Order: sequence, then structure tokens, then C-alpha cells
Amino acid sequence: MATSVRSVLLRGLDVLPVDVEVDIATGQPGFFMVGLAGGSVREARERVRSAVRNSALPWPPQRARMTVNLAPAEARKDSGGLDLAIAVAICLDQAGAAAPPEAAFLGELSLDGAVRHVDGVLVAARGLARRGVRRLFVPAGDAAEAALVADLEVVACRTLQEVTGHLLEGLPMPSFTGGVADVAEAVAVDDLAEVHGQAAARRALEIAAAGGHHLLMTGPPGSGKTMLARCLPGILPPLTRDEAIDLAQVGSVLGELEPGRPLSARRPFRAPHHTISMAGLVGGGSGLARPGEVSRAHHGILFLDELAEFDPGSLQALRQPLEEGRVSITRSGGSVTYPARFMLVGATNPCPCGWEGDPVKACRCTPAAVDAYQRALSGPLLDRIDLQVRVSRAPLEALSEEPTGEGSSVVRERVAAARGRQLQRQGHLNAALTRAELRRLTGIRPEARRALERWSSARGLTARGFQRAWRVARTVADLQASDEIFEAHVLEALGYRVADAAAA
Amino acid sequence: MPRPPEPEDLRARGRWPPPPGRRVAIVGSRRPSPYGEAVAERLAADLAATGVIVVSGLALGVDAAAHEGALAAGGCTIAVLGTGVDIVYPRANADLAARILAAGGALVSQFPDGTPPQRANFPRRNWAIAALSDVVVVVEAAEGSGALITAEAALALDREVMAVPGSVFSPLSVGCHQLLRDGAGLVQNARDVLAALGAQQEVLDDPLKPPASLGLEAPAGGRDGLLQHLSDALMTEPGTLARKLGLPLPEIMSRLTALEMAGAVGRRGAGYVRLAPGGISRAGVG
Repeated sequence: MATSVRSVLLRGLDVLPVDVEVDIATGQPGFFMVGLAGGSVREARERVRSAVRNSALPWPPQRARMTVNLAPAEARKDSGGLDLAIAVAICLDQAGAAAPPEAAFLGELSLDGAVRHVDGVLVAARGLARRGVRRLFVPAGDAAEAALVADLEVVACRTLQEVTGHLLEGLPMPSFTGGVADVAEAVAVDDLAEVHGQAAARRALEIAAAGGHHLLMTGPPGSGKTMLARCLPGILPPLTRDEAIDLAQVGSVLGELEPGRPLSARRPFRAPHHTISMAGLVGGGSGLARPGEVSRAHHGILFLDELAEFDPGSLQALRQPLEEGRVSITRSGGSVTYPARFMLVGATNPCPCGWEGDPVKACRCTPAAVDAYQRALSGPLLDRIDLQVRVSRAPLEALSEEPTGEGSSVVRERVAAARGRQLQRQGHLNAALTRAELRRLTGIRPEARRALERWSSARGLTARGFQRAWRVARTVADLQASDEIFEAHVLEALGYRVADAAAA
Repeated sequence: MPRPPEPEDLRARGRWPPPPGRRVAIVGSRRPSPYGEAVAERLAADLAATGVIVVSGLALGVDAAAHEGALAAGGCTIAVLGTGVDIVYPRANADLAARILAAGGALVSQFPDGTPPQRANFPRRNWAIAALSDVVVVVEAAEGSGALITAEAALALDREVMAVPGSVFSPLSVGCHQLLRDGAGLVQNARDVLAALGAQQEVLDDPLKPPASLGLEAPAGGRDGLLQHLSDALMTEPGTLARKLGLPLPEIMSRLTALEMAGAVGRRGAGYVRLAPGGISRAGVG
């Protein structure tokens, strides 16, 4: 008689349910694993054998021929997470017991029979629950992750012995009731109250936060671009529970969640260095791609300092996530899609030496070098950044004074109100307004529209640039709780369109 | 130290030798402020109107503004190139070069035809500019600017060196102010240059009138003096304007854009500068 036990493999944020079948028969003795097992699954033979024996459980006799099949056979399997299911299937088969209905097993085994952490438990639990699994056995340390999924009974497993005792002898094994972990509170470290001056940049930050617009800051070294960017999480509303779960899925795949506390309301703020590889930025790796920084920044901020220094190919690869809010990566093991809806905040020097436009220090670059530097940033990427603002150094004497600007909490309230208006009106933020929505929903007054048209024709804006300015104007109006876009809103919005002004 | 080329070494396109007359070189930063650009253009125009031939280097910025000013006044202007005369560098000035030739001016070079732009050649070209001129006027030069090499060459060649003062806050003023401190002639308007050339008084303005202003008239507009708080040489940040005028930043931003669309202000770095009314359209927007 063959026994079949359910387990699962990750395919990005999707899952591939795997049936682990065991048959113990007579014949040429051995322990055979079939079904396109990758390296880590072939090694499972050794782990499972030791774990079963060291748990004082019976192992099939020497002369038995044992075959483990992993179905579906055509998909390559490379995960230690199948260990528990294989061991359970062997034990059930020997005892002649049936596998529990609607249950699945996930976990790696140590040689002494302990059940070890595996990455991606949250993703696995979600996928299995959608496919009718009602009871999921997971490593004890990962139970809090799995418990985030509704309608799923989670059983926290510490040892193999505990699991077989429960299945074969009916020993009690309570379902995990650690409570659905509450969302860890967001603590903003950097506060706008600490920023000196920079009135225009602060305002651009507020508009970007309110409308979800991408932002580019250009300014000399030491002008506080990084500090300003770091203030962004503090003026954004905390993650909703759904957003936090979305983000936790990425962390789950990467195994980066805090054990027992998988959810955080904190907006992610990712600031990869400009030497990062394309795989590190958008995701990649061998076999199946792992999520990159763009997915770690899901629902949060991707801050790229020294934007012009990034590999042009990597910046090109940002186009899909910028447009679609997700990223698809194909590797030998198949194609996976990860969420990547982030606010891009770029920072760059205005020229190679950094001092172009500075009122005190002279720039040493040739005009051609400045042009080339700024052109390197232009094109498709810049075309997708709604807001661009120049930042200057605060005078040294100002740094010794107390900054006088508003704190993050004040700004956050305005941002939250403006976001609320947008969600109520169109169900998403202004950054994602389509052309049809702009025409239908945004209530632009005739004189405001004329100002927009005058600007676009004077600067030869593309249709895309025109809409971009329109969206920003909509956000400016929302910050003022205005249903209509007035001319002043358009004019202010155009003040944060540096690239257009330069194109004149 | 480079030496000026002998006249027979020069290759020229256009009218060469040039018509008789005094020659004034106007040189300066390749990235001047709107102020510097306006000064160069206005000065060149006023000088050309009196028959002076304006010499410059066909570079971006002050050089181009000087050539433009001379052309606008219907004058003759000479561009001294650092490349072969068959190559126009930078390419952005190809149209300007064509108009110089069309207006009876000349492009000259001490380098053989086909010489591409090479860093080392430009200081030598600066010597040629000085050699071809009676007076060298420097308009906006930061520390280490190539225009200062021209001034040095002029001194070595016993030419008169003059400089236009700028804002003491601007890095672009450092070179000119150093020249002035070292005894260069002060240029406030074309009359100062003509006086240095020893030109006759009748070509000059009525001396009883205040000197023709090179300073820019404040354009009308700005209900409460937004423009009065803007300089034409140094950028002012929107936040500073908001503080000075006691107005909220969003209002300042929208009014600045309105002025920008009207061509009264332009962006520079993180702030805005006032633009000359009419005139310097290249720095203007809209």
C-alpha cells in the first residue's frame, strides 16, 4: 500500500502543492527518491533516515525497497521543506495508517528529529489554504507566520516524534493559538522637525507622500537629500494590515521576518548602494528568482542615492515595477512574479563634481560634462518620476540654529487626509491616475488647464509629461482639500518639474 | 608660456583680414549667470554700434553672448577658435558661427584644418584672442577660468585688461574682482571701454546723462515685490522668499511659475533668478 502526504513548494509568491508518496515493497533493497529531486531533496534521504531513527521510530527493514515519489513529477524540487512530509509519509506507511485529510506538512528535519525553520511559510500557508488545505503542520518558530492566514488551523511542530505521536497514537497536539500576531507599531526615527530649511524640498516630499509620486532630488553633496528621504516613512500613514501581510510575504520568502512577529506597520525604506547588481535590485538568482530590493520596498520607499552612478541596465529594469507595481523574473527554474509597488526616491548630484548651481562653491565641470551627467539620468526613468526638486546646502550658520519647520506628525496628518480623499474618489493614489481618470475625475478648471497647456507647448512636453504634471496638480489640490484643480495648484505643481524647465 | 601665433600662421574663414577698426575681446565664463550673459550681450552690442569689432572665442556662455550682441547691433565680430577653422566647437554654436560669417565676420584659428577640440589647445587660443585685440574685457570668471588666461596673455602682450564687477556673493565674480584689485580697468558700460580705447567723445553718450545702465530694469509685476527679492546674478530659494515675504511656500511656488512662464524669472540651482526683460532669450524660458 502506498501512502500519500501533502506538502508544498514555493513558486515566487505562488505555491506548487506536492504530493509525497511512499511505497515500501520487497525487491532490490534501497531508498529511492524519484520525481525530479534537486540536490537538497536528494539529501533529504539522509536527514530523514537519521531523524526517524533518532526519534526512536521504526525504519523499514534492511531488505525493504522503499520508493519516495514527489508529484507532480515534471517540476524540479529543491527545498528542505519537504523533509517533514517525507518522514511522516514513511512513518504512516509503516504503521499502515492513512494520511490525515485536508492536512499538509512543511518543515526541514534535523538529524535528531527536530523540526526546523523553512522560508516562505506565510506564502505556503496562503497558497495551501486557497487550495483546500485546512490543517497545516509547520515548524514551531514559523507558526505565527502561518497563523496570519484565515481559515487555516496551524499546528506548531517541534519534533518529528511529536507529530507521529499525534497522528498515530492520537496524542494531543493543540493548534497554534499564539494569537494572530498584532502589527508591530511603526516608529519613525527621522523626523522632519530635524531638517533645516529646505522649504521647497519638504513641500515636494509632502506632495510625493500624499499622491504616491516618485521623487528625484538633485543637489550638491551634504545638502541633506538622504536625510530628507529618510523622513518619508514618518510622514506616510502606517501600513494597513493587508499591506503589512503583502509585505510580510516577501519577507517570508526571504526568511527575513522577525520570528513570532511577522507583521510590522512600518513602511519599508530600502536604500541599496549604487554598486548593487541587477539581480539584487529587481530580484534574481539561480533556479527560481528570489525577491530583490524593489520587492522588499513593496508599499514603502526605494531610495536610490547617487542615481546617476547606478548601472544603466539596472535602472532600465526598474521600468516594469515602476509601471506595473510588480516584477516578473524568468530563470532556469521558471518564471516568478513578486510585488514591487514602491515610491522611488532618487538623489543625485547636479554634475560630476557636485557643485553646479551652488551659490558659494564654484562648479569645476565643463558645460558638456554637466549636460552629459544630467542626460544620463534622463530618458525613460526620469520620464516616470513625477516630482523633481533641487536641493541646496543650508548655510553653516543655519545648522547651529534650531530648525523651525513642522514635525513629521503634522505633515503626516495632512498626507493622510489627502490620501483619504484620493482613495474615496478613485480607489487608488493620484500617481496611478490613468488618462481617462484624469479627464473624468479630477475637476480641472479651464484656466488651470490653459496654464498646463501653455507650459506643455512652451516646453514641448510629451503627452506623458503633460499627464504627470496634471497628476501632481491633483495632489496639490487634494492637500488643500479642494475638489477642483485651480490655476494656482497647476502652477505650484509645475514648480517641481525641474526637467521640464531645463528643456525650455 | 604659450606665445601668440604669428599673423601668417592664422587660418581664417570669412572676411580676413578684418575691416580696420579697434578690436575689443569680451571673454568670460562658459556658464555665466543671467547677469553676466546680459552684460556681455549688451556691452558687445553697444561697442559694435560704435564700430568696434568684438573678438571672442565662440564658447558657450559669455563668448556666445558677446558674438550675439555684436551681431544684434549689426556689427562685425571675430571668433577665434581652438579647433581647425573647418570645425565648429561646441556644436551648439554652429548656427551662431554661420551668422557670424554671413554678417561679414570671421572665424580664425592658429591650428591646422581638421584639428579636433583638444584641451591643451584652448589656452593657446586664449593667447590668440588677446593678441588680436586692443582691449580685453572679462565678464564673470570664476577662479581658474580660461578667461583669466586671456587676461594674463593680454598683460604679457601689453594689451589693456578690463573687468566687469559682479556680486560679491557669486563665485563667478572672484576672477574679475581679483583682476580689478590688481589694477584692471573697471567696466560699467561701453563708454568705459571706449575711453580706454581713446575713442573720440562724439561717439559717446552725452556725459551729462547718467551712464547708460547695464543694470537690468526690474520688470513690472509681482504684487508685493516678489521680483524685488530676486537678484539677477544669484539664485534665491523659494523658502527664503516665503520667509521674507511672510507668505506660504505653495503660494510662492505658484507665483514663481507664473513669472517663469512670463519669462521674468528663471531657475538656477535650487532657486530662481530675475531675467532681463527681452534680451537674453537663451537663459530665459517660455
